Amino acid sequence: MTGFDLILIVEDSAEDVEAIERAISRALPDLRLEFLRSGSEVLPRLTTPGAELPGLILLDLNMPGEGGLAVIQRVRADPALDQLRIVVFTSSEDQAEADACYAAGADSYIFKPINFGLFQTVLRQTLDYWRSRPNVAHIVVPPPGDSPAQI
Amino acid sequence: MTTEELGWAVTIHRLWASVAAITSREELSDLVLPPLLRVPGAVGAWGLRHTTGTEITVYRWAGLPLEGDARPVALELAVAGGVPDSPARDWLAERGVHGVAVSRFDGDGEVGGTMLVLLGPDGDRDRAALCLDQVAGVTREAIRRLAAHRAEQAQQVRDALLAEASLQMDAVLDRTQTLRRVARMAVPAIAEGCLVYLYEGGRPELRSAVHIDMRRLNALLADPAVARQLTELATEAIAGRVVRAEGVVPGSRIVDAQVLRARDRTAGVLIFMFERDPQDVPPPRFLRDLSYRAALALDNGELYEQRRREVVTMQQHLLPSRLPSAAGLEFAASYTVGDRVLEVGGDFYDVVVRADGTVGALVGDVCGRGVDAAALTGMARHTLGALLQEGLPPVRALARLNTSLRREKSWRFLTAGVALLRAEAGGFAVQWLSCGHPAPLILRRGRPAESGRGGGVPVGVLPEARVGRSRLRLATGDTLVMFTDGLTESRDADGRMFGDVALYETVDKLRDVPLDTLVHELSAAAARFGVTGADDIAVLAIRVEDPAKGPADDRL
Repeated sequence: MTGFDLILIVEDSAEDVEAIERAISRALPDLRLEFLRSGSEVLPRLTTPGAELPGLILLDLNMPGEGGLAVIQRVRADPALDQLRIVVFTSSEDQAEADACYAAGADSYIFKPINFGLFQTVLRQTLDYWRSRPNVAHIVVPPPGDSPAQI
Repeated sequence: MTTEELGWAVTIHRLWASVAAITSREELSDLVLPPLLRVPGAVGAWGLRHTTGTEITVYRWAGLPLEGDARPVALELAVAGGVPDSPARDWLAERGVHGVAVSRFDGDGEVGGTMLVLLGPDGDRDRAALCLDQVAGVTREAIRRLAAHRAEQAQQVRDALLAEASLQMDAVLDRTQTLRRVARMAVPAIAEGCLVYLYEGGRPELRSAVHIDMRRLNALLADPAVARQLTELATEAIAGRVVRAEGVVPGSRIVDAQVLRARDRTAGVLIFMFERDPQDVPPPRFLRDLSYRAALALDNGELYEQRRREVVTMQQHLLPSRLPSAAGLEFAASYTVGDRVLEVGGDFYDVVVRADGTVGALVGDVCGRGVDAAALTGMARHTLGALLQEGLPPVRALARLNTSLRREKSWRFLTAGVALLRAEAGGFAVQWLSCGHPAPLILRRGRPAESGRGGGVPVGVLPEARVGRSRLRLATGDTLVMFTDGLTESRDADGRMFGDVALYETVDKLRDVPLDTLVHELSAAAARFGVTGADDIAVLAIRVEDPAKGPADDRL
């Protein structure tokens, strides 16, 4: 597998942090994981001079303080972070939230399964997919109303 | 046995012992290639993973690196089964390689591989071939185990997906949400993309689309040729033709279209898009199973919606389509359906105006729900309304209803309240009759809300009706609020009732709002207060108009 080998995980739930760490270290042992427990830590981490940039952020949506959507907006506002993939990993079932995340510049919006086997598979497939894709500069997608498929 | 042979035997034994611990092909190459360097004269050990034919997907090595221009050489060696008479021979000689042993294996339905031992000038090709065969035997078994393990894991994941998808889909009866959930569950667990088409108006219509890379999917769907191609696939699936195609959609190796059909009704089509290795694509049987469950969930949602519409229609028929006009009075009513919306509720209300201008207002609540309760509700409302309209005193009207219920030997009973309003100087005289019904509220100008009296026994319980009687007077601007117990008995999380802790405070705030607003806001407040919203709520309010202001224009 080509592509990045460092990912940043932004997740406030201790249970989910443990599950994500266990799932990825089993499925993709060559990946290096770095965890942040709140949205407000993301920008300072990414913009620290000389800091190694991850290839992808795995982002929880509903966190106290700065939520996932605000994080996406702030990251996408910084042209220096254009190459960064943003994957929202959430148990939220609100379609409007998914639309808002895509409009803000998220690359994937992935449902967080309950079953651990499925949880691991979903993470592996997501990370495999993005690691095999060359990074290109991001284009923010049009608002949801312009999308060809809408319910 | 020489020391060297003994050492090799130990190596092979160790390899066999390690096979069970291998969890990936990457680990496998690290395990089996380095020991091959111990073959006498070996200068390199190469491993190629390939698809069918000669397409190489992975290169691994120990010793002489398999990088750059070494790779086409490796391919030539693999195809020729030895050192070919070509420039590759010179390339190898320059690196001290004078012979090679080759072993190729193709698993059953698995990605195959070729292993090569590169020998220096002192290498023994026969000896190397023997050692390589032994290592290849270990490798084959490891690959077989890996394949079995992966198949088992894939099956577990598919089982988990079916279970979780069923749970998710059954949790909602809304068709739109069901569609979204199917697609969201599938991506990326089993596919990179999932499109949901609904079969409407005789053709498939794309209604939901999810992809691991939505930006890319949106770009694809914006291409009319691709969109048309996908719609044709959906049409084929609806026609009963099996659709699993390779390379028909740009960027997707495989697409699989599954019809959404349950109980002989075709709801639509799911199109799964795969970009992963073909061996990781779920079998059509699994996709059929998932689609069938989705179709069942959609069909259940459809049946539910159909039933709900019937119930709403029936409920509307049990209530007056509009309230009458009466000089000096203003009426407003609201009906809030509780949680159990698949059964018709038993609350009712009505207002009749006699020829002499006397007004009869009634409110009632039949115990239970469903068709039987609905029939009784209709009968009770029409009986009471007709008898009051004809001029029968309310007590006798209630007694007649009691007799009717007893004659039918119905186990059901109902509570009812009747207000008879007669105009008098400066307002209305009200006769309030109650058969086990909640007491009404009276909102007077400048005073806190007060309760009327209840009393009586529900209609249908005793052979003779027992009616609670009271009188009250409504002055200009006063409001009489009649309601069913769904209003007062709405309970919060602590079990407290709206009637006990919030009713009076709420109506006091609503005292001066238009009457229509009052009944709707009051019902809404009670519904919000309750955590379950289990019971229906009927509210009927009557306000004595202020002649100076004229009739309100918000009358129902």
